[in-house]
Amino acid sequence: MKLLSFTLLLALVAPCVFAQDNYDADLIPSNLRSRANAIVRNSVVTVDMRATDNVSYTVSKAITVLNKNGENSARLVLFYDKNTSIKSIKGEVYNEVGKLSSKFSQSDFRDESAISDFSLFEDSRVKHYLPLMNSYPYTIVYNYEIRYKQNLIIPDWVPQTANDVAVEKSSYVLISKVGDEFRVKSQNIGMQPEEQLVKDQKTTTWKVSNLLASKPEPYSPFRETYQTAVKIAPKNFSYYNVKGDYTNWQELGKWQYDNLLKGRNILPEATVQMIKELVKGETNDKDKAKKIYQYLQNKTRYISVQIGIGGFQPTKAADVDRLGYGDCKALVNYMQSLLNVAGIESYYCVVEAGTEKKSLDPGFASMNQGNHIILCMPLKGDTTWLECTSQKIPFGYLGDFTDDRYVLACTPEGGKLVRTPKLSASQNLQVRVAQLTLSKDGNVTGHVKTVFSGAQYENHESMVGKPLSEQQKLLKEVYDIDNIDFNQISYLQNKLLKPEATEDIDISIRNYAALNNDKIFLKPNAFNVKSNVSESKNRTLPLYLNRGYTDIDTISYQLPEHVIPLIAPDEKEFKSAFGSYSSKTKIEGNKLIYTRKFVLNEGTFAPALYADFAKFIADVNTSDHLKLYLNFKK
Amino acid sequence: MKKILIGITLCFLSLHSFSQNFEFGSVTHADFDFDRNTIDSNANAVVLKEYGTTSFYLDDATGRLVLIFDYHTRIKINNKEGFKQANIVIPIHKNDRDEELILDLNASTFNRSQNGFVQSQMDKKAMFTENRSKYISLVKFTLPNIKEGSIIEYSYRLQTPFLFNYRTWEFQSDIPKVYSEYAAFIPGNYNYNVSLRGFYKLSDQKSEISKECLRLSGTPVDCSKMTYIMKNIPAFVEEDYMTAPSNFRSAIYFELADVIAMSGAKQSLTKTWRDVDYELTNDKNFGSQMKRKDVFKDLIPTLTKDAPDELSKAQAIYNYIKKQIKWNNYYGKYSEGNIKGVLENRSGNVADINFSLIAALSAANLDAEAVILSTRENGTVNKLFPVISDFNYVVAKVNIDGTSYLLDASEPLLPFGLLPLRCINDQGRVINLKKPSYWIDLKASQKSVSNYVLIGKLEADGKIKGTITTTSYGYDAFNKRKEIKRYNSIDEYVEKLDESMPKLSIGKHQVLAVDSVEKPLVEIYEVEFAAHNGTSNNQLYINPFFINKISKNPFNLNERTYPVDLGSASDQKISVMISLPGKYEMLEKPKDIAIALPASGGRYIIQSDMVDDKLTVNQILQFNKAIYSPDEYLYLKEFYSKIIQNQKTDVLLKKAD
Repeated sequence: MKLLSFTLLLALVAPCVFAQDNYDADLIPSNLRSRANAIVRNSVVTVDMRATDNVSYTVSKAITVLNKNGENSARLVLFYDKNTSIKSIKGEVYNEVGKLSSKFSQSDFRDESAISDFSLFEDSRVKHYLPLMNSYPYTIVYNYEIRYKQNLIIPDWVPQTANDVAVEKSSYVLISKVGDEFRVKSQNIGMQPEEQLVKDQKTTTWKVSNLLASKPEPYSPFRETYQTAVKIAPKNFSYYNVKGDYTNWQELGKWQYDNLLKGRNILPEATVQMIKELVKGETNDKDKAKKIYQYLQNKTRYISVQIGIGGFQPTKAADVDRLGYGDCKALVNYMQSLLNVAGIESYYCVVEAGTEKKSLDPGFASMNQGNHIILCMPLKGDTTWLECTSQKIPFGYLGDFTDDRYVLACTPEGGKLVRTPKLSASQNLQVRVAQLTLSKDGNVTGHVKTVFSGAQYENHESMVGKPLSEQQKLLKEVYDIDNIDFNQISYLQNKLLKPEATEDIDISIRNYAALNNDKIFLKPNAFNVKSNVSESKNRTLPLYLNRGYTDIDTISYQLPEHVIPLIAPDEKEFKSAFGSYSSKTKIEGNKLIYTRKFVLNEGTFAPALYADFAKFIADVNTSDHLKLYLNFKK
Repeated sequence: MKKILIGITLCFLSLHSFSQNFEFGSVTHADFDFDRNTIDSNANAVVLKEYGTTSFYLDDATGRLVLIFDYHTRIKINNKEGFKQANIVIPIHKNDRDEELILDLNASTFNRSQNGFVQSQMDKKAMFTENRSKYISLVKFTLPNIKEGSIIEYSYRLQTPFLFNYRTWEFQSDIPKVYSEYAAFIPGNYNYNVSLRGFYKLSDQKSEISKECLRLSGTPVDCSKMTYIMKNIPAFVEEDYMTAPSNFRSAIYFELADVIAMSGAKQSLTKTWRDVDYELTNDKNFGSQMKRKDVFKDLIPTLTKDAPDELSKAQAIYNYIKKQIKWNNYYGKYSEGNIKGVLENRSGNVADINFSLIAALSAANLDAEAVILSTRENGTVNKLFPVISDFNYVVAKVNIDGTSYLLDASEPLLPFGLLPLRCINDQGRVINLKKPSYWIDLKASQKSVSNYVLIGKLEADGKIKGTITTTSYGYDAFNKRKEIKRYNSIDEYVEKLDESMPKLSIGKHQVLAVDSVEKPLVEIYEVEFAAHNGTSNNQLYINPFFINKISKNPFNLNERTYPVDLGSASDQKISVMISLPGKYEMLEKPKDIAIALPASGGRYIIQSDMVDDKLTVNQILQFNKAIYSPDEYLYLKEFYSKIIQNQKTDVLLKKAD
């Protein structure tokens, strides 16, 4: 059997794996070329778990780049830090017919710091290389070895990293000692791995072949939820010289609590006294917590500095107390320490933050999930969540950044998966009431009041606290109507448990309604036109709507005297699995009243339903563009 | 465009008293009570005082001359939006041998309490150095205990071995400044050209002699100390459609002109264009590469064998270089390697590619020159005297039968004679191997033109079926070609285009001349879309602006400070002809109008008609200039508003009996 000898050979001499392969681009099967910008011809990733503090990660890969758009797939990007060293890199580039065109080694790589935009400092660097080829196709072949001084975080194996890349064949080889325990999670791979025992060494191999490229599809589920992948988590691990073991979230949470958090909550005596004084008058824990949260928001600001134990350990509470700043870990740990003084229990929670709802995997505990920390207070059944990095966010409100997903609470008893509260379509409200006057020249003036709540609470957050001239500029982007001006702008934020933000603006829009002959053209839906979504022909992935919402608009126009208050009554109402829409235009005395309600539901729907969704939104868009013709009195 | 480059005459008269650096930590109640309304009610933070000096210093340890830049600032933080002023990043330059150093960093936050001021000093540990790349490091730090109303203060010394980098002083930044002072110490034997950019004038300046400020080879040297002061400087706010911020931001620049050695010999550095011409034409990474005709000698006969005249020869060579050498995405006025190697490796920076082009054109006995220029985002160049570091790009110029063509072979999708938009930036300097250099205007040689023709038939159900033919030239064609090339095939491009417009479906399609960049790009699409909902057939309202309807005003603000730069003149024509299902009468239509911008800056014309049961609508939208002054902004706004007004109205058709 070819594979057997192949993996055995790998174990002995990792480099030069496909020395005899032919990289003639003509040999690529045509079904693999369809919709592909690049093709992984062959890839072998080998993880050799020599010891908990010595893991060799070897990659041998050949990629054919079909055109300029596929170039990114040829880019070789290797991160390293104190715990990760690059042992060797070498590679070759072949032209269209498979003839060697150049070779490269580590000295051809650019070396740069790898600090994310939001961070002041991180301990990470990157080496990267892109071959300079100007005729396509070409093939890049490389071998590299990375050595990890830890085995807590092992990169997931994802053979197809983007939808414009096809995979001819790809395999993942895990070498471990017999008796080493580790958990494996494989997704969408459709095969059992092959296992091979040689003396005390066990080799496990996963293989895939002929993964086809596909075109990108809008409103599809997150790639992570369906892509082919294998994840590995060893039971016994070593990390920055700290040892531990875990097989589930309970144990991993326990390890984090014991090794990263415990003992970092000591506050200076003055602060302890100050907090005691602060909450003295309050009788219940929630009110105490509210006061302490307010203190935190006034005292601290968010500054990201990712150093120490791989960026997992929070700065000591006393340091945050002295400096007045910290990252999410530091600020949560500080808040927890302050609550502790008042005798309020709280949990340090790891979350995957972002408007896309991504949960920690309940079935597979591992350290490389989550990118943010929030705080959870059980409060005897009245569970309350705190985002500690914002100076503005209301007490107990998470918003769409961390809502509705599983997070890991690290408690002294161990880790617990807890779900953050969900914001439903009916809670995510935007309610607008506008009272406008239409002049005979087509100008519109009046007052617009909009109330935002639920996940929409923060819609216009960026305007709050800005100077007037800046607000006027920003509002022109939100209400992008020709000739609009804002004369009075005010924001009121009600930071109750169900927070509400109210925007009150006085507007004037010169020439909003167009005049022609003896008619006036009026588009009653001035502020909220739903954009179309693009079609998605031959849909393969499910339709995924991440978060629902409800928008309600009521606009009344006081009509000028010389206009005949008469229109063809217009009423639209339709409903689908994706939401509902209704709009109505009517005349009441001298007023034209337009009402609109749009509800978008969240959910996952079969691929075939995408066309219905696009149609639904297109119908909304068409209805939103309603135009009325009003006649002048003669 | 207003000239905003002012040469500074140094006057040796001093009538005003000048302040010195202020004492660190000498904050006062007046600082805390500072009312931002006195300078800018919008300010999230305000620089209260800022003081800097640059001087020469003989480093005893190495015996080398270095530049010392001392900086000290005091900032009031007004609100949470201003907190980011407390996060500071200082870029540090370096190369293989030398590196700039940050010394004596001092930083503190001051907050007011009941019993005075509380100083929170920054821990030295809170300073990080990020090794960004081979040429740059970033020194970063953040201040502790920031609150609304805090005063922050920091000072540092930056020591640089790069004597050419005499510190530019930026009077204007993203927050307003109450007082900014810069003192430049320059030894008598060094001569710098000094220039002030921006819209604001100095509040004060003076020059005095600083005795024996430096010892060179044991000889004491006097320095001139020049002090520049600006007060109440507004924040710099970027606007849409503007070129490089550095063109407009108030700052003072120093360019080393000459040095007199202790022996008395004068060493001139970029003093006149004649000197620059000599240097460039003899530079091994400039003139020497232009001269490498030998590299192409054997190739030229094959390349140009079918070319009947000089122009087609030049085009053949241009196409060859475009195809042969791939741009590595780096700009530059100097080649990185030699063009022989570049041709072999088939890759290079802008200079490598365009020097290859010049050498190849010369090898074919064509009259080719180089043009150095500054790209749009790099700012305009100093025209008063040569500042070679202002230039960051080089293109080719070929002169045929009295016409000159500017060529950049780094963008394969550009037609012959059209520079990429990034190069369209005022003027460039033509460098000739034999003749003196001179300025040349950098303008787009072609207008951006798009012509749309829709011929269709209105069906009884309200649908229009027809064909849209689009012809594009200039940057319009270039941008479309770039977009098409993002897809693997034209079919995939059209599929995406079709999917992006759910109300319109595209049937058969044809896209011509995608790769023949000298020809206009032609797209022909069979389309179907709804013109009305088909419910009423007796009276039809149809909005005839099916193509590129303008509903948003790109110039929607109420004021403008800087010129509006659109890059190139443009021209769009749209013709629609729809056959109607039977006899109709046109009761109403959008007004036929012809409006224009002042001084022939642009125009918009619309005309609609009904002839033989066919509805025709013709529109022309032209912008005749690339740059409009801030005064013209409101005209542009009104011009667009008028168009939007007109396009809101419909055609009303009544079925004839």
